[in-house]
Amino acid sequence: MNNVYIYDGSFINLLNLLYYLLKNNIRPTNIKKKGYLGSLFDYLIELDLRKINKSDALIKKLGKTVIHHIYYVYLSEEENKEIIIYYYLLNYFKYGPNLNKMRNLKCVSETLRISKKVGNEAHKMKGFIRFKELKNNILYASFAPDNNVLEIVSLHFKKRLANEYWLIKDEKRKIISIYDKKDFYILNEEMFNISEYILSDNELEMVNLWQTFYNTIGIKERKNPRCQMNFMPKKYWPYIIEMSGENEKSC
Amino acid sequence: MNLNEKLQILADSAKYDASCSSSGSKRTSSLGNTHIAGICHSFASDGRCISLLKILLTNICIFDCKYCLNRRSNNIKRAIFTPEEICEITINFYRRNYIEGLFLSSGIINSPDYTMELLIKTVSLLRNKYHFGGYIHAKSIPGASDYLLKKLGSLVDRLSANIELPTENGLKLLAPNKDMHKVDHIMGYVRDNRSRNYVPAGQSTQMIIGATHETDLDIMTKSENMYNNYKLKRVFYSAYISVNKDALLPSLNIPPLKRENRLYQADWLLRYYNFKVSDLLDQDSPNFNILVDPKVSWSLKHLDEYPKEVTTCSYNELLKVPGIGITSAKRIIKSRSHFQLTFADLKKMGVVLKRANYFITCNGKYNINSELFNKKFIEANLVLEDRKENAEENMHQLRLFHE
Ligand code: SF4
Repeated sequence: MNNVYIYDGSFINLLNLLYYLLKNNIRPTNIKKKGYLGSLFDYLIELDLRKINKSDALIKKLGKTVIHHIYYVYLSEEENKEIIIYYYLLNYFKYGPNLNKMRNLKCVSETLRISKKVGNEAHKMKGFIRFKELKNNILYASFAPDNNVLEIVSLHFKKRLANEYWLIKDEKRKIISIYDKKDFYILNEEMFNISEYILSDNELEMVNLWQTFYNTIGIKERKNPRCQMNFMPKKYWPYIIEMSGENEKSC
Repeated sequence: MNLNEKLQILADSAKYDASCSSSGSKRTSSLGNTHIAGICHSFASDGRCISLLKILLTNICIFDCKYCLNRRSNNIKRAIFTPEEICEITINFYRRNYIEGLFLSSGIINSPDYTMELLIKTVSLLRNKYHFGGYIHAKSIPGASDYLLKKLGSLVDRLSANIELPTENGLKLLAPNKDMHKVDHIMGYVRDNRSRNYVPAGQSTQMIIGATHETDLDIMTKSENMYNNYKLKRVFYSAYISVNKDALLPSLNIPPLKRENRLYQADWLLRYYNFKVSDLLDQDSPNFNILVDPKVSWSLKHLDEYPKEVTTCSYNELLKVPGIGITSAKRIIKSRSHFQLTFADLKKMGVVLKRANYFITCNGKYNINSELFNKKFIEANLVLEDRKENAEENMHQLRLFHE
């Protein structure tokens, strides 16, 4: 029988569950988010994780670097991310902080690889996100990252555009980050509905100016579309305003 | 002339400047901050990172540098931004997250001091009226007074002056109005005054490659001197692109991109791999081998010192092995005390075995047939690798651009 432990998809309860499993020496076959259907041989186990209430203690115990890595893995869309984190922590309690040097262990190389991948995408998005200015001066952006990086980019824009109202929508996950000049909140799309997005008066002019700049700045003697596409993969183009036109042309 | 047209003209004449990095500064304000690692916002059709709004204040110029589109003797459309216009575009682009900040350069209008004052006025408006905390890279105008240098430097993150050509002779020939000592003066001034509030992201410069007959040795020697004397953050190399016809200029149809690439690789070796120019080039071979990168070239010359045993050799020795970068060298050092390394582990650590294979042993094991350890064979294979990776090499070079 496969013992598959179920959690609600939140990071806190994933930590609670991991604490419970490690503490009691339980080896799960897998750990899955609620909604997982399972196979014939799966035995799904769902605990009252909030009662465990050890997430804070675990965060303290693990320290910044480890939490950073497992949080980033958690934000990924990797198929078996939870069980990778489980094995990573299992080994962490065995080897301590030296673990990250032991890249020959699969759980370590996988954790570091995925964490890096998520970090890289978040970094890219800090550059690729494009805001539009709406009538009421609110800045609005939408994007569709592979990983769930909305919180990471929100933290970035909270500092950068501290004095603006802004919204960033993740089209893939249907979640939206709302910033009110103090802090940001991430909500499900249906909990927050702007009925219409009316652009500000000079929005089109600015888009035009940017397009002009973009088209001018490339040196034609050095044209290198392969390189361009490698750094700025086509999947992101629909949300990058200077590229969205290109996309239609090639479709 | 409308704003769109001005932007087109003044971005077009600024685009040959290679520098676009936005890293190395920590600044915050009510609008904007800088990111210590720098951020690319887009990639142009030539694959180069766009992080800054790169423009000239004006393309009017009293000088007549042969290679430059804006030279006085060219009959082209001229434009000039007002400081307010630059602020408006910068702020609007920045709020929309198009850019990381501003790169502001200029042709010389009236006099160096007059031009500097316009630059200062613009940047000061941005910082003080708009409270702009994003990245600003300004070009200082050689010949402007120290007072103005001081003022401009206190407002920007990076200040730079382009040396353009590696020798005085080259400069006399192609840029007769320019004076190398004036550029040296700026670099010395910035070096002596640098602080958290003065040019926090440091200074950089640029050289044009292939417009004159100077060798790679001339170029790299100049770079090395500038790194040592002025603590420059970066020297950029810009393959000469022919925009003007002139008897003194070479008529190149394609810019010497491969040469530019080799120079960037060598520059990298100087800054991070503890190489000296004299390790790489000398009077007998003053130019880099176009077929293999400078590190491979060096290793082939020192083949008698190879192969190195990765489980015991020093960090410095690891760094000099082709295919081993800084990250993988560090990882090897960190890991090898914890477990026995294998070739598979090396691969996992990011070692490019295709290159490194010839130069290392791991626990005494040589990964290829040891009878093949001879210069001809290794060189032939590495030349082949280089050609295969040509496209990726280009990428690497571009990565250097926006590091
Ligand atoms: S001073 Fe600068 S802008 Fe003027 S001609 Fe020379 S290179 Fe061009």
